[in-house]
Amino acid sequence: MKTALQALNVLLPSCWMLCALLHGMAFGGPSAPNVVGIRRWALRATLLLHVMAFALLWRTVDHFPVSDTWTTLSAVALSTAALYAWIARSTRHAGSGGIVLGLVFLLQLVASAFNNPVPGTRAGNTDAFQVAHVSTSVLAASSLVLSGVHGLLYLILFRRMRERRFGALFQHLPSLDVLARMTRRAALAGFAFATVGLNLGIGLAHARKVEGFDYADPHVILTLVLWIHFGVIAFSERIRGITAHRASFAATAGLVVLLGSLFLTLFPGLTFHSTP
Amino acid sequence: MHPELKLVLVGLSHRTAPVAVRERYVVSQEDQDACVRGLAQAPEILEATVVSTCNRTEVLVTGRKDCDLAAVVCQRIFRNLPEEHMYSYEDVHAVIHLFRVSGGLDSLVLGESEVLGQVRRAHEIAQQAGTANTLLDPLLSQAVAVGKRLRRETDIGRGSLSVARLAVDIAARVVGSFRDRHALIVGAGETGVLVARHLKALDLGRMTFANRTLERAEEAASEFGAQTCGLDDVPDRALEADLVFTCIEGGDFELSQSSFPKRGLARRDRPLFVADLSVPRAVNADLRRFDQVLLYDLDDLSKVIEQNRRRRTDAADGSASILVAELHKFLSLRTYASFTPAIAELRARFEATRDQTLDEIAGATTSPESIELTHQLTKRLLDVALSQMKESARSTRSEALLESEYQRFLENL
Repeated sequence: MKTALQALNVLLPSCWMLCALLHGMAFGGPSAPNVVGIRRWALRATLLLHVMAFALLWRTVDHFPVSDTWTTLSAVALSTAALYAWIARSTRHAGSGGIVLGLVFLLQLVASAFNNPVPGTRAGNTDAFQVAHVSTSVLAASSLVLSGVHGLLYLILFRRMRERRFGALFQHLPSLDVLARMTRRAALAGFAFATVGLNLGIGLAHARKVEGFDYADPHVILTLVLWIHFGVIAFSERIRGITAHRASFAATAGLVVLLGSLFLTLFPGLTFHSTP
Repeated sequence: MHPELKLVLVGLSHRTAPVAVRERYVVSQEDQDACVRGLAQAPEILEATVVSTCNRTEVLVTGRKDCDLAAVVCQRIFRNLPEEHMYSYEDVHAVIHLFRVSGGLDSLVLGESEVLGQVRRAHEIAQQAGTANTLLDPLLSQAVAVGKRLRRETDIGRGSLSVARLAVDIAARVVGSFRDRHALIVGAGETGVLVARHLKALDLGRMTFANRTLERAEEAASEFGAQTCGLDDVPDRALEADLVFTCIEGGDFELSQSSFPKRGLARRDRPLFVADLSVPRAVNADLRRFDQVLLYDLDDLSKVIEQNRRRRTDAADGSASILVAELHKFLSLRTYASFTPAIAELRARFEATRDQTLDEIAGATTSPESIELTHQLTKRLLDVALSQMKESARSTRSEALLESEYQRFLENL
């Protein structure tokens, strides 16, 4: 079992890199090989492999496997890819795949590089509320990362179009309208997951009287601000004055703050919430 | 290609004849059926099809090798057409020409895709009329496949070469789907109508024509189910629209920052795409100051068109390998198909020899196992013989030989 986990630890970044390359080939233009069928299957197979890796880890450690910084990072990579697959399917455009899956590859690479393939046990992870809190928070983080990435792509494409540069990015990224929809849709998913994750987290903190938990804690404030921020982006289509351009800018800024927040959450000793 | 049949293509196109001549020999889609049936009634002709577009009329026929098929076609279709306006190809050169036509390599606008649909329709009409059989049916099928392959694997059909089409293509990168969008077209002349046609083909939701004379706008609008307005209403309509195309002549109309109410454009919650296809320009560059406005004029579009043209020319130069491979495939299959009677005879002789041998050796005492064994043995020996024939069909004309044939064809163009 341990050998299989070690093998998967090495295999996963390679598979995500392959997926990113296959999706990125669209930017090579028509002279690039046509890999639409292969990339779809590669993404499905890698998602399955990643799920299997977590299932195997769960069986080995005998509790919910997302228990430290690196497994959390790996879980964020997996859920980002899964959500991307869902959004690309619903908007029928895979033009941002190379960039999103490139990010997934980097996340998994870092996770695999520092990961202990078989981490120790963590008592809290046998509790269903804790599992729900971690799962929804990971999904929220992934959705918000996706929203931020698509917001950034919107800004890049918009800038290119204003500068009248019709190169590879112009040819192969989704249209501005689709990018704006992807940004908002991902923000909506993130907002929904974060609502559940935050409430469960606050509930758990009260129930377990977590040492150091305080509403005035910068991490709690930052998380709540992000929650409101992405909530506004999610519903921005109905809010007068928040254009797709502004929503995309906000999502990009939110991505930067989110990454900072993840850093605070994941690295030891920074806040009450930091993983051991 | 075929031991007894000859393939002949006779036609005229933009390369050989001016429009005044071409228009006299157009065969409309409605007349094509009667035309191919009429051709097939000639005793010399076995199969016939007609490809007719605004830039070419071509007749493709098959018949016995000893007949002058070109003369028959000229007599029936191209009567009184001076020879200098006409071209005629036989066998391999006829196939090369047809493949080039369906790939858009022989079109006035290099790589245009309409001709592929016209070849497909010509095939359907010939099939329905029963004038595409042994040779023309597979040839026309493969011509369509070649056209698709060239467009899929090369840049021949990529990137627009018309400003109207390019403007609509860029607009598509802004709005994605046109279904729920509103386009304002300023100017109901030729370019305006062309833009409207492209937009309608992409399922545009709502369209408004603005023109100096309302009658002209209404005339254009009636074709597309669009609304109309005068030039004075353009700023207000532009604020409601997602896409604005100005295609107006004269120079007395200008859309600028001062045309819009204060903060009118700044308040927009979605990008406004503006394509100025007018000469002189009808949209002032000061509109670019607004974050939400994406403005393109003819200079911007011309640069892209020039790039696209270069890309298509390069693709046309690089398409020879695909054409030669497809030509080789077609000729190999045809050569193998011409073996059909020989294969049938070979099969019959193998079976007769097997039965005779069985009778001589075992007579009436043959067991079912022995019969099965001889059946299997005969089948395998026949397979060996057939694969040898396939191989010899493939090597009848090597790709290198066909490539030099193709180069010769190009030199004679």
